[in-house]
Amino acid sequence: MIGYIKSAGLLAVLLFVSFPTFSLAQSVNFSVFPTEVSISNLATGEAAQFQLTIHNKELATHNFTLTTFQPSEAQRRQDMGEFPDANWISFSPTKIQVPTQSQANVTVTLAVPREKKWADKNWEIWLGVAPESIDLVGVKFYVRLLVSTKPEGRGEFMIRLFIAIAITIVLLSYGVYYFTHKVKPK
Amino acid sequence: MTAKRSLPKLEGMRVVITSLIAVIIIALVSFLPAFAQERGTITITMTGVSEISITLDKTEWALGNVTPNTEYKTSPPVEWCTLTVQGNCKVNTYIEGEDATWIANPSEYRWTLSNDGSNGEHIYGLWFRISRDAMRGPRGDGYVPINKTQSEFWPYAGGSPLAPNATKKFGLALLTPTRFYSGRQMQTRIIISAVAA
Repeated sequence: MIGYIKSAGLLAVLLFVSFPTFSLAQSVNFSVFPTEVSISNLATGEAAQFQLTIHNKELATHNFTLTTFQPSEAQRRQDMGEFPDANWISFSPTKIQVPTQSQANVTVTLAVPREKKWADKNWEIWLGVAPESIDLVGVKFYVRLLVSTKPEGRGEFMIRLFIAIAITIVLLSYGVYYFTHKVKPK
Repeated sequence: MTAKRSLPKLEGMRVVITSLIAVIIIALVSFLPAFAQERGTITITMTGVSEISITLDKTEWALGNVTPNTEYKTSPPVEWCTLTVQGNCKVNTYIEGEDATWIANPSEYRWTLSNDGSNGEHIYGLWFRISRDAMRGPRGDGYVPINKTQSEFWPYAGGSPLAPNATKKFGLALLTPTRFYSGRQMQTRIIISAVAA
């Protein structure tokens, strides 16, 4: 009997929970462009910059946050591999306030480390833009970022070699000049 | 006598050094453009005047008090909300959910969102159903589970992406946990995302 009362009490305690009740509202009306950015011929150790524009079409100011997202193979463009490290991408700012019915730009910087293994690759990653909201259902837009790194060419090596040879020749020339015209002590 | 002898030698060295420097400069001038070209200009291509945008005509669901192990559906069930493609590019859309948290203290108590729409103790299920799509989903009734990883909203199974001005009506269903702590106002969030097709 005591067990039954305990169970009934527990049931009563667990019976109700409330979800918040709000008035019906529309999602934040905004747009992002461009929808796709393609960076090609990016050498390892180099960085590229571009801008995303957020257009707030609402009659109120909204805050937007920027993030990255790794799409699955099925979601990526053909022949595009998984982006190795989302930390290579930075946003400035990462959170932006866009006044009513106006546009704002966010600068995106992509920097690929100087390592041979990242040369001659094709990657895709998505850049997400979402309004800050507490609504049950929200929207987020993604911009496709396609990156192709250039093959590791001879250019870098040749330049260094050439500069080294030039410096060596100049130093040798002055060395020879110095020693042949050194004033002998009387 | 010594000075007279070293004078031609000095002149010779000057000629040699000047020639060497001239050769280096000429070589640099002729090679550097080629090197610069090989280093390459980074090409950044942005897709024309395309802009991406979708809107939802409802974002809130007034559920009120709920009881354990009960399924709640939006009203109307499958045409509760309309998604409209506002931008000028075709889009693929995705959906994802998250755990429901206690509004008063989100880190203290939560309902975990299940992967398959099922429920359990402090585990709840979320589903969506798109209008005129009655055969989709594991139960074959059009309802598809929403989980914490992004999954296809529309298109799916190789269908066509949504064109500009296209609309999709959909509804939601929520299956409450078999057991939960009462008197706590819970909050969750569903994200519908879009990317250029």
